[in-house]
Amino acid sequence: MSKAEENADLAALAEIDRLVHEPARLAVMALLYVVDSADFIFLMNQTGLTWGNLSAHMAKLEGVGYIEVKKAFKGKRPNTTLRLTDKGRLAFLKYASHMKHVFGDFQG
Amino acid sequence: MNTQLNLKELERKAFLTTYQDGLWDLLFGLIVICMSVSFYRPASGYSPLNIVMFSCSMVLANVLFWAGKMFITLPRMGQVKFGARRRKRVLTMIIVLSVVVLVQVALFSFQLAAWANPELGAKLNESLPKSDAIGLLIVASISALMVGPSIILVAYFIDFQRGYSIAIMMALAVFLMVYLNRPIYPIIIGILIALPGVVLLVRFLQKYPLRREEASHE
Repeated sequence: MSKAEENADLAALAEIDRLVHEPARLAVMALLYVVDSADFIFLMNQTGLTWGNLSAHMAKLEGVGYIEVKKAFKGKRPNTTLRLTDKGRLAFLKYASHMKHVFGDFQG
Repeated sequence: MNTQLNLKELERKAFLTTYQDGLWDLLFGLIVICMSVSFYRPASGYSPLNIVMFSCSMVLANVLFWAGKMFITLPRMGQVKFGARRRKRVLTMIIVLSVVVLVQVALFSFQLAAWANPELGAKLNESLPKSDAIGLLIVASISALMVGPSIILVAYFIDFQRGYSIAIMMALAVFLMVYLNRPIYPIIIGILIALPGVVLLVRFLQKYPLRREEASHE
């Protein structure tokens, strides 16, 4: 068996989307996948992330076009709404299917 | 520990958090208390004042509920829009409840017509059993059946688990209100419905304090 063949299974791990793979971002994307849209405070409460943390992850996900961020005012209060884009939705599905494929029928 | 990411359960949990504020319990409790006071039947009989009082108190209860959602829940918990499945359920609920309300309005209008028209009232009385107690029992049962199933439908469509027990308590409150004509019993039931709401609201305020971070956009 060649070295390339030996490493073929491990190579699958390298194809994992690291942007989605990070636990905090995965939590944000999973939550946005099941709802239509959510604001910043709701996501903070649901994921348990701090304001700074969520803000940083939000910027990364927005940067690659996985989420759409709308900033507006509700009365005098600023309100930031997040929504998963089609690209983000696809990336999440691809990630989930990839992880299933990587682990297969792994029993632990 | 279940480490599987269950998206359906995740959505459901996110949805159920919207009931953590206890405002629905408070609304239903308040509605029962308002009904108890408004539909107390004085010796002189019902008057349009009963309807006016009931309508005003219902508007007030709903205004308080939405104000609570707007000024207490949303700033603390944040806002979320759920997917198409939830929206479809709410739409179905609106259609089903509209039919239920139409039937109730028809029955109520018939009752009003009987009040306004003594001849029709007399005919209606003839159709009821001669015994006042049995007649009252029938009217009380019909009234309870008008309320209970409607709230059960609401609870089912909005996935509000406590709604089922609230529906039974509301039906009982309406039954007692009509049958015994003593507001104290339904008022006690109304307080019992609202009480968990108060506890939940206090817990909610402790769990979700107002966040100052969003004073500016991220």
